[in-house]
Amino acid sequence: MNDQGLSQEDYLTPMEEMEIDLFLEAVYRLSGFDFRKYMRSSIVRRLQNRMRMERATTISSMQEKLFHESGFVEKILNDFSINVTEMFRDPDFFKVFRHTVVPELKKLASIRIWHAGCATGEEVYSMAILLKEEGLMEKTTIYATDMNEEVLEKAKKGMFSLQKMQTYTKNYLQAGGSEAFSEYYTADNHFAYFEPSLLKNIIFAQHNLVTDSSFNEFHVIICRNVLIYFTSELQNEVQSLFYESLCTDGFLGLGNKESLRFSQCATGYEEFSTLQKIYRKKH
Amino acid sequence: MIGKNRFGISAKIITGYAVIIVCLVISIFVVNNQLSTMQKERNFIIHHDLQVHSLTNEIEKKLLEMENGQRGYVLTGSERFLKSYNAAENSWRDDFNQLYSLLADNPSQQNNLINIKKAMMSWVNETGEPIIALKKNNKNAAAVKGLQQENSIQNVENIRSQFEQFRSTEISLTEKRAAHLDSRNKNLTYGLISLLVVVIALSIGLALFISRSIVNTVKEVIASIKAMTSNGGDVSKRIFVKTKDEIRELAHATNDLLDSVEKRDWLQKSTNGIVGQYQGKATMNELGTTFISGVARSTDASYGAIYVRESMDSKKFIKKGQFAGTAADVGRDVFTIGEGLVGQCAIEKSPLLIENVPNDYILVSSALGEAQAKNVIIVPVLFEGDTIAVLELATLQTFTEEHKALIENVTKTFGLTVDSISGRMEIVRLLKESQALTEELQAQSEELQTQSEELQMQSEELRMINEQLEQRSLEAEGKSRELLQAKNELEEQAQELSLSSKYKSEFLANMSHELRTPLNSILILSEMLAENAASHQLAEDEEFARVIHSSGQDLLHLINDILDLSKVEAGKLEMLFNEVNMSELPQQLERNFAHVAQQKGLDFRVAMENDVPPLIYTDETRVQQILKNLLSNAIKFTERGTVAVHISSQAPKEKRVEANHWLCFAVSDTGIGIPKEKHDHIFEAFQQGDGATARKFGGTGLGLSISLEFIKLLGGTLELESEEGKGSTFYMYLPSLPEGVTTLASVEEETVLQEVAATVEVEEKLPPNEQGALGFFSGKTVLITDDDQRNIFALKTALQNEGMQVITAANGHECLTLLEETENLDLILMDIMMPVMDGYETIQAIRAQEAYQDIPIIALTAKAMKNDREKCLEVGASDYVSKPLKIEQLFSVMRVWISNQ
Repeated sequence: MNDQGLSQEDYLTPMEEMEIDLFLEAVYRLSGFDFRKYMRSSIVRRLQNRMRMERATTISSMQEKLFHESGFVEKILNDFSINVTEMFRDPDFFKVFRHTVVPELKKLASIRIWHAGCATGEEVYSMAILLKEEGLMEKTTIYATDMNEEVLEKAKKGMFSLQKMQTYTKNYLQAGGSEAFSEYYTADNHFAYFEPSLLKNIIFAQHNLVTDSSFNEFHVIICRNVLIYFTSELQNEVQSLFYESLCTDGFLGLGNKESLRFSQCATGYEEFSTLQKIYRKKH
Repeated sequence: MIGKNRFGISAKIITGYAVIIVCLVISIFVVNNQLSTMQKERNFIIHHDLQVHSLTNEIEKKLLEMENGQRGYVLTGSERFLKSYNAAENSWRDDFNQLYSLLADNPSQQNNLINIKKAMMSWVNETGEPIIALKKNNKNAAAVKGLQQENSIQNVENIRSQFEQFRSTEISLTEKRAAHLDSRNKNLTYGLISLLVVVIALSIGLALFISRSIVNTVKEVIASIKAMTSNGGDVSKRIFVKTKDEIRELAHATNDLLDSVEKRDWLQKSTNGIVGQYQGKATMNELGTTFISGVARSTDASYGAIYVRESMDSKKFIKKGQFAGTAADVGRDVFTIGEGLVGQCAIEKSPLLIENVPNDYILVSSALGEAQAKNVIIVPVLFEGDTIAVLELATLQTFTEEHKALIENVTKTFGLTVDSISGRMEIVRLLKESQALTEELQAQSEELQTQSEELQMQSEELRMINEQLEQRSLEAEGKSRELLQAKNELEEQAQELSLSSKYKSEFLANMSHELRTPLNSILILSEMLAENAASHQLAEDEEFARVIHSSGQDLLHLINDILDLSKVEAGKLEMLFNEVNMSELPQQLERNFAHVAQQKGLDFRVAMENDVPPLIYTDETRVQQILKNLLSNAIKFTERGTVAVHISSQAPKEKRVEANHWLCFAVSDTGIGIPKEKHDHIFEAFQQGDGATARKFGGTGLGLSISLEFIKLLGGTLELESEEGKGSTFYMYLPSLPEGVTTLASVEEETVLQEVAATVEVEEKLPPNEQGALGFFSGKTVLITDDDQRNIFALKTALQNEGMQVITAANGHECLTLLEETENLDLILMDIMMPVMDGYETIQAIRAQEAYQDIPIIALTAKAMKNDREKCLEVGASDYVSKPLKIEQLFSVMRVWISNQ
């Protein structure tokens, strides 16, 4: 996997460690995006990728590009932000959400949901569909944020490739969708376009979990498969941000491989669905 | 080329030389002439004067000799002196005559001479002869005295002076002549010199003239050539020479050379121009159009078309460009090898020139009119010995040699270009393909990469979590053990639960059955008790027995209802279709219900129309049960007035099955009625108008729902007309079905009917071939399985409109058969509700086949039925679409499921 320049992640020399530190410092100073507290292994792998593509041999040479090659910072930022997502990802999460969280939400007069790290918006649309089917659409506002504005632009279009739609359909059905999935999109030869009415109560905004603070109080915060890229220290910080941003009895939905167990905030929550990693803020 | 009166350089030079030579000859002749004249004169002087002098001297000498002789003779008397005298006296006259003749040109001298002669004669006669004669006569003394006479001496002296004068005159004449000769000589010298000068001048003049005339034309030619070269090789100019000599010939020859150079230049330029124009063209059409228009323009052709071979393996030539074509219809678009002249030309690989174009061959048209093409040329474009393209040109004029040469020239290189362009296009296409593939691959690999990274990340985290978990292993183990235990318990409970729910219906059925047995005993016994007790029991007991009986009866009804309902729900209830005699029905009803109505003081009427057929096919028991339910209800909820049954032959507005005969049973009452909003409600199990009603009138509310289920099973419908406080009318429509209900009747049927109508409507609105989606679906094969022909028709038309191949099956069996026969199926649309073999079974059967594990199957389900949809997915449908179908939605779904194949 790695035959040039950087040694295997497990065996980074102290020199290389320093180079990476400096590189991330430069990225932070140049762009304001702070990856210093991201999981080092993940960062290293992505840097290795980029180095292979750029045929660079040392991280320091990459740093030079960072300063002197226009557009390189953006490349690095795109490399570092992972945008893998799909609609109704982990269908069971949505199924459980529908059956357990939704009844609780129905009691509220108005609902605010925050999708942190929404990437290209697949999960946001999933949530919107779910809420529509449950009749909560009208009284809900979904705040969808990501640090990458490029992906946000994509998300706003609500346009997904046809190839992925089969998986999405399967997920939707497994997630207990009550209609036909096709009710929500029209397709041309390449893309499926989601009904613009779904967007009505969705606000897309740029927000960086690492550097930005809370901006509202929410009933539900969904942040799935984002924190895995953060060091536990950073995870803790973000978790406190979520905790602050949740109202009492509010729900926090995490990815099914993520957990609050080792977070400082764990005590502030009760496990609402252990399997699907849905937590509820205690009184 | 040169005119008749050409005057060549050689002629010029020769003429020049000739002139000079002639001049020389003339001058030599003249000189010679002069010289000979002078010679003559000189000779004349020499001979004539010399003779004159000598003769004069001779005569003088002879005079002297005569004098001497005479003297001598006289003195000596010697005969010798007399002899010399006589000799001189005899000869001097001859000399005198000779001299005289010599002086014929000089009369004055002749006169002088005659004077001399006279003097001499006089001497001879007066002096000489007489003296001699004296001597002879021996008169010596007289003779000597004669001699001594002064006169005679004086005479001789006079003659001698005369001679002297004569001679001096002659000498002066001779001198004169010599002087004349001298002057002539001098003149001759002058003449010679002047002649020389004239000849030299003439020669130089001629030389200059000739050389100038030659050099000037040469200069003209040089100037023309220089002008051409200095003009950047402009060969359009020509050399013009006025003279008619070799230079003119040279100029003509040069002009011919220039002509040929210009032609070649034109050829080269035109070729380069055409070749240059089509350089860098990326597509065959661009290339063809540029090429043909270039060639046609250069050759003054009015019409042209270029056909390029589809590929080297193909026999088809496709038109790639045309010139002056009247819009679309210039020439054919395609021809195959050997087809017509063009095709022939492609085979023979040699150009074809048609000079006598048939009248109807082609009309070259412009905005103003059209004209007959005069010449048509068809040229094959070869590449590596094969015909790669064919060029056809038609002109109103004729094709010149240059045109042909040009065509030949450009076609030579064109083959290579066509090949390279087609190669390039192929490369571009492949490149695009490979780029697309690469992009796709890249995207996939990126996706994979990110996914794998994510997986790695997750596994890493898991690893970390595991480590931490290990630290808390004891606690975790303990908890997990507890959890396991709890889980096992839960599982057990869940199993029990599912088991118990599974037993529910069985239990209910059994229970009712078990209940009925003892209940029957109770009923029979209580009835017996009530009837028989009158004789030996108290009235009170009798009343008790009656209450027990009627309660038991109610209970039995209830149990029967529950049993039926659970059977219906479990799908176990089957209708038995048989002949039912309708004529007996009114009496039957009357028999059964008249007294019940009377008990409540109600009027009970049964009426049947005459057109009701005497025999219908249905389940008699169930019909009676339904009627009983409806009538019981009617009677139950009516306080006063009428309960009536009206039987007619009438079909409902919405038929769920096709039947020859329909009956309508209208059960009306004048009871409390049902409020509008409760109309739907009352058919649900255990429901009545409202709670109060139930309390007042009793009953379980099962009757109507059971009736409704039965009616559905019989293929009929139930309608309600009711107004609160005024009474209700239930209309039961039943079909006569000799074959029984073929479709499992259920709620959805109604909706299906509506859907078909809706679908057809959508179909009509659909514009043909909308938004070019044709390409996406075209060539895809879809199998529609639906028992409703109208549905199939509507779908088929819509899908065929999109260019799809549509195969249809009326039921599951057909669908499976067709699957075996069909290859390359892209998608299956599957109706769920079908006779013979329904959608679920069919889907299951399809998925059981190895080849069709992944084929997209889209189930068409009824909107209301959530369970149906779950079942669809369970059996393996890929997706479902709710009826009534919206065509755009259906297309979207199909795009999604066809997209990845």
